[in-house]
Amino acid sequence: MPIRKFLLTFNPEIVSEPITYRIVKDFDLMINILRAEIDEQGGRLMIAFEGNGPQIQKAVRYLEDSGVQVQELKEFIRKDDNRCTNCGMCISICPVSAYQMDKKTWKVIFLNEKCIACGMCIDACPPGAIKLRAQI
Amino acid sequence: MKRSYEEINEKIKQGDAVVMTAEEIIEVVEREGVEQATKEVDVVTTGTFGAMCSSGVFLNFGHSEPPIKMTKAWLNGVPAYTGLAAVDAYIGATEPREDGNLDYGGAHVIEDLIAGRPVRLRATAHGTDCYPRREIDTYVSLDTLNQAYMFNPRNAYQNYGVATNSSERTLFTYMGKLLPKYGNASYSSAGQLSPLLNDPHLRTIGIGTRIFLGGAQGYVAWEGTQYRTTTPERNGVPTGASRNLAVVGDLREMSTDFIRALDFQKYGVSLGVGVGVPIPILDEEMMKCVSIRDDQIFAPVLDYAVQSRTRKPMKEVSYAELRSGSIELAGKKVRTSSLSSYAKAKQIAELLKKQMLEGEFLLTRPVAMLPTERAQKPLDLHSREEVA
Repeated sequence: MPIRKFLLTFNPEIVSEPITYRIVKDFDLMINILRAEIDEQGGRLMIAFEGNGPQIQKAVRYLEDSGVQVQELKEFIRKDDNRCTNCGMCISICPVSAYQMDKKTWKVIFLNEKCIACGMCIDACPPGAIKLRAQI
Repeated sequence: MKRSYEEINEKIKQGDAVVMTAEEIIEVVEREGVEQATKEVDVVTTGTFGAMCSSGVFLNFGHSEPPIKMTKAWLNGVPAYTGLAAVDAYIGATEPREDGNLDYGGAHVIEDLIAGRPVRLRATAHGTDCYPRREIDTYVSLDTLNQAYMFNPRNAYQNYGVATNSSERTLFTYMGKLLPKYGNASYSSAGQLSPLLNDPHLRTIGIGTRIFLGGAQGYVAWEGTQYRTTTPERNGVPTGASRNLAVVGDLREMSTDFIRALDFQKYGVSLGVGVGVPIPILDEEMMKCVSIRDDQIFAPVLDYAVQSRTRKPMKEVSYAELRSGSIELAGKKVRTSSLSSYAKAKQIAELLKKQMLEGEFLLTRPVAMLPTERAQKPLDLHSREEVA
């Protein structure tokens, strides 16, 4: 089942709509809320959808029709491989094991598809090799 | 069998020396035994790349017109120590910028210099009859400086502790970010590749030993600060921080591949330093030493939530366990992170090997040995009379 991640931006008028409920119920998708934020400007929700491809497409269309701004997130984090010393400090920090040590080369591999953009690795990286690409 | 430094150097010059890394030799000894391996191999190379806070660079700026005797000096806003002759300074790796910006410090100045980038030098002075100038604001680079040599009072620690955190909050330490309730554990030794773990009693490493330092050919200058020989041993190697080296080398020959500014969030700046030492296989005893494996080297796990110098180790774990990705602590599987780069340690050992095979790196017999007995003293509050 494909997993796709989106940043949803709501204006204040639709903040109270139960959209995550509708996505689960009407489109049969598994959702994982990665981050959520509401203030006077509206709300922002970083969310992962897991389900079959056409259903995800339909859900995105529903969201757009409801006035939600939808931006697909493909890359949250970028690791600068020239700056990275391959120490591995990020490995035990990452809650979803998006960083792994390649035991053959002893180099750190970043698995973008696992990343949930929590940002915990960024200030844990001693040489400053990790940067956040998508801001929320 | 016995082998001398001179014999090995002759072979290196002829291009006949057999050199292996401390990782490669493990398999050879397992396959052929110590005796046979000793016959076959002349030198074993080691390497480590980690955060080494006690590091810094001596600089001579040259004289200005009119001349100045610098009282205070800043390099890119980072204070350098100038309590030396007129235009001599020492820039320490952990020195923070004076503006309170914690993510740029002495280590960044050092990396900028090695990279050939311009560095702003600002200095003030009282002004004297012989050095009338009172201030200067200019740019320097590695090319404009007279001498620029790294002198690190404490590098290449022989083993080190493993850090974890039992408390309820995240701790920001020189051992990295430690997550609450034993959320992770960090360690910082190259283990089986680490220089001083391959010659645990420093039979071949002493004052004057030529080493790989940050890409340059450097030298061991002295015993490192907090050098101690009293750490208990297991399998012939210390089970925690023990000996270390004071080292010196020319900044001009160094590379940012092996000298890297590091920033530990809410702790401060440190310097990633790459050190490699060739170990001459003088006899079977040396071969036995260099064949040490990660599963035979142990380190104490320390709880950094205990803010005291007398932290009791929770347990001892081997580097094989640490490198597996997790250890067991307080009945829980705890993920591990290395702070030192094993990839770079390997790269250094391999580079050193290549330099020796190509005749570019010769061994040196130590001019003097480092202490065989040394205890580490604490700092306590004393009256004048008590220490008189």
